[in-house]
Amino acid sequence: MTQRSASQTIGPFFHLGLRWRDGGKVAFPAKGERVVLAGRIFDGAGKAVGDALVETWQAAPAGAKGAARGKSNPFGFGRVETGKDGRFRIETSMPAGDAPSIDISIFARGLLKPLRTRVYLAPREKVQSDPQMKALAGSRRLDTLIAKPTGRTEYRWDVRLQGEGETVFFAT
Amino acid sequence: MTRPDAIDPPYLYPDYLSTRLRSPKEPLVSLPEGAFDAPGPLVPKGFVRKGDNDLTIHGKRAPLGEKMILVGRVTDESDRPVRDSLVEIWQANASGRYFHPGDQHDAPLDPNFKGIGRTLTDGDGNYRFITIKPGSYPWRNHPFAWRPQHIHFSLLGNAPVQRLVTQMYFPGDPLLAIDPVYQSIPDASARERLICTQHLQTGIEMIALGYRFDIVLAGASSTPMGR
Repeated sequence: MTQRSASQTIGPFFHLGLRWRDGGKVAFPAKGERVVLAGRIFDGAGKAVGDALVETWQAAPAGAKGAARGKSNPFGFGRVETGKDGRFRIETSMPAGDAPSIDISIFARGLLKPLRTRVYLAPREKVQSDPQMKALAGSRRLDTLIAKPTGRTEYRWDVRLQGEGETVFFAT
Repeated sequence: MTRPDAIDPPYLYPDYLSTRLRSPKEPLVSLPEGAFDAPGPLVPKGFVRKGDNDLTIHGKRAPLGEKMILVGRVTDESDRPVRDSLVEIWQANASGRYFHPGDQHDAPLDPNFKGIGRTLTDGDGNYRFITIKPGSYPWRNHPFAWRPQHIHFSLLGNAPVQRLVTQMYFPGDPLLAIDPVYQSIPDASARERLICTQHLQTGIEMIALGYRFDIVLAGASSTPMGR
């Protein structure tokens, strides 16, 4: 075994190197049902985190198989920055599955390693029965991983890094 | 061997002030094994264009500073190469200023240097960049705080569990001793692995100095050990 390289913060100037064209429009081999996930990120004092990077990784819509070609962004992967007001927004496709979910990594100044979490685009009954959520099935904190529908194809999900209502983050 | 939990910094490292309000207080929740093992994302070869790994050719003239060739190999913990995988870098110019509207400190921009590069690793995990040595710069963390010279690295790996953002430092930099970002890594040998080595033969005679920086990503357990 060789030992891993350590993580370091992304710092405040990552926009330079990590901004992708259409990073917030997640593509798949087939579109399926397009949905929007929008939200805000807050710190432990309730202040907006205006310099975070949000990365998303998820299952494709049912029946959409294959890898990206040419110059396009990789399929299934999204990358957006928060604005000064802490807002982020991604357009993607509804993942396949009974309790559709999107894995989220958050990078920022002040995060020496990324925070890993997940957002479900499904009602709590479905999320509770996801075997991966077993440890949280009886907990109120599970609600921090569930987006609220705000329109026919729109979902709202806020992230609290610390303190009251703190979002559930995962060990890796 | 370093304990795995002594490699990465903690979320809360009070000497680095920005961690104080951004670190979670609740314990992290463990998911069943393999939850982050699905392979991907797969970056198509055309995503990176010719010249994207040379940070010195995008202005009208050559950038100011000490030109350097930076090579390295990306492997996983079992020494397997991480192939065809995206490596992105960004950095300050030779005077320590980022080409970024958020960096307003008193050092000049270089119109010939934006400090952005990307490349894909080859079939054996190797990458290569041509750039200039970044300068140090002051920041507001504590009195007389200056960041050591560094290049930011982002690696997508071949599975989400391999995703890594880190910083590469330079040998002999006296600022490493007072840098809370670098010092936040608990284990001394894990810190030292983020320092590149000078490797003269990697350079180009009379043109560029050579450096080497190898990177080790987590092993994805979906690709079994010892394959």
